[in-house]
Amino acid sequence: MAAKKLRRARLSEELCERLSRYQITTCQDFLCLSFLELMKVTGQSYYDVQKLLCKVSRACAPKMQTAYEMKLRKSVNPALAFLSTTLHSLDKVLHGGVPCGSLTEITSPPGCGKTQFCIMVSVLATLPVSMGGLDGAVIYIDTESAFSAERLIEIAGSRFPTYFDSDEKLFCMTRNIHLYRELTCGTVLKRIMSLEEEIISKKVKLIIIDSVASVVRKEFDTKLQGNLAERSNFLARGASVLKYLAEEFSIPTFDAPMDRAGSCLYWCSLSPAAASTRWCLFITREGAE
Amino acid sequence: MQRAVGGLPLAPALRARLVAAGFQTAQELLETGPCGLSKEIGISKEEALEALQVVRQECHGDATRTAGGSGATRKCTALELLEEEQAQGFIITFCSALDNILGGGVQLTKITEICGAPGVGKTQLCMQLAVDVQIPECFGGVAGEAVFIDTEGSFMVDRVVEIATACVQHCQLIAEAHQEEDNLKALETFSVESILSHIYYFRCRDYIELLAQVYLLPDFLSEHSKVRLVVVDGIAFPFRHDFEDLSLRTRLLNGLAQQLIIIANDHKSAVVLTNQMTTRIGQSQSTLVPALGESWGHAATVRLIFHWDNSQRLATLYKSPSQKESTIPYHITSHGFRDVQPPAVTQNAEDTEMNPRKRPRREEEK
Repeated sequence: MAAKKLRRARLSEELCERLSRYQITTCQDFLCLSFLELMKVTGQSYYDVQKLLCKVSRACAPKMQTAYEMKLRKSVNPALAFLSTTLHSLDKVLHGGVPCGSLTEITSPPGCGKTQFCIMVSVLATLPVSMGGLDGAVIYIDTESAFSAERLIEIAGSRFPTYFDSDEKLFCMTRNIHLYRELTCGTVLKRIMSLEEEIISKKVKLIIIDSVASVVRKEFDTKLQGNLAERSNFLARGASVLKYLAEEFSIPTFDAPMDRAGSCLYWCSLSPAAASTRWCLFITREGAE
Repeated sequence: MQRAVGGLPLAPALRARLVAAGFQTAQELLETGPCGLSKEIGISKEEALEALQVVRQECHGDATRTAGGSGATRKCTALELLEEEQAQGFIITFCSALDNILGGGVQLTKITEICGAPGVGKTQLCMQLAVDVQIPECFGGVAGEAVFIDTEGSFMVDRVVEIATACVQHCQLIAEAHQEEDNLKALETFSVESILSHIYYFRCRDYIELLAQVYLLPDFLSEHSKVRLVVVDGIAFPFRHDFEDLSLRTRLLNGLAQQLIIIANDHKSAVVLTNQMTTRIGQSQSTLVPALGESWGHAATVRLIFHWDNSQRLATLYKSPSQKESTIPYHITSHGFRDVQPPAVTQNAEDTEMNPRKRPRREEEK
């Protein structure tokens, strides 16, 4: 939206010509200037500049919807509003399961079962809607090389023996899970940015990132000076793209940072990403909460 | 009033020409007339007429801006202001302790900022306020509508439905207890559907959409004149990442703050912003402070900080021009934002409602 060219905002040709001489070509450039600067570059009076601002803003501003319209849209297809985790108590606490259309974060000390949970949820997403799945493909971004295809088949086979009764069905399911191994922050971010087309072409219904903290911890040493800001930058940017994808395509996305047991400072410093997730599951060794 | 030509809101090129031709005050321009002006400056008669109309508007002080301007004269005496403030309503939060420390609730025509760590209840309070602003006047509300600008995507319709249902039930209980004519009439139009249809929701994905939306807000509010609450949930989120130029960020934020103050005053609505917390790393320890820096701290009139103390949520009134600093505990229940239930339940003798969690409402208010 920000990169929208001014020409498409229905400004006149000569005005666009004039503005491009000052290197103002997108709506972003236009809206970041103050009133006086705008008067100078457009050469128009105060009131005309106000009208221009309204015009450009209308090109960028989001559409209005009332809460009632949102509710009606959701109730059109209630079955696809949640992905049930098949853990009944967890589903009850989450009021139905993992919500589609938002970002969910799973965090726990190492060894509690996050990756296992992610693998199980991938199986669930490929199941047909009648069995509580999403009938779609899964994108699994693996940063720790912890994904095991053998384990995937084991889970599928023992959990749903009646459905996965033939090898054919199992292979069909595994074909629907697209695994990407990304080992650095930069590649993870690039992968997230490029997901939009993949989601449409492969009919993806679930995105999992396992785990976001491992790449961040490897590359950003918080003791060094500028690293905290850069790290928050990376996390916030990734989170906002993921949220956009989740809302746009109405799919659940998971990301799973690791956590050293009992370190609250870690939680605070990860707060930009945590602040942007709507749901946060904290798993401990004693049980899932 | 002798207005200098250099200060008139004309196009800069035209202004420069007028000054070069020797015009010094607006009065001189008006005396010259459009034909004389066009001959002297070398512009067409139409342009000259346009310029003179602008000058005339400015001088007469009735600037008919499209942006809903009642901003001609902003002066009044303190007595008038006092009467206005006393007649003004508050938007209650359903947590009586919080309403008390705020002096009655969230004030109209002021900017209130809510800061807190993630998960502490900022968005819950915003959703509660978006419902509470619609409470009819006979129940002690301001009977307004709400604009909800969401930058983080944390608005959940199902949760608003829950909060709205609880609010409607609460009003129904009051109406049943007091059996007054206008209470029952008001209840006919106060339902969950009507509450939801009067929350206008905008999802802004980055700071440009937010800026654009705030530019368009005055027009929107002129069309929907019953709006009494503007919530921006997550003013910090779009500005915290991807901003290399911090001075641009400060300038944009200050511009936003100014526009919001104008909106709050012109349309008599409350503006509520939520902010994130950031870690300030000091000499020996680090503290949590509101994000966006010190200069942003001046933007809001009232600042609330929500934080945890073990497992109890606390709200601290950090900055207010009229109330003193204090901290109160609060709860988030399935009905919404509420008080912490006191240990002795049999406290409210005059309480006619059956639900002890709800704030007792006194009908002789307002």
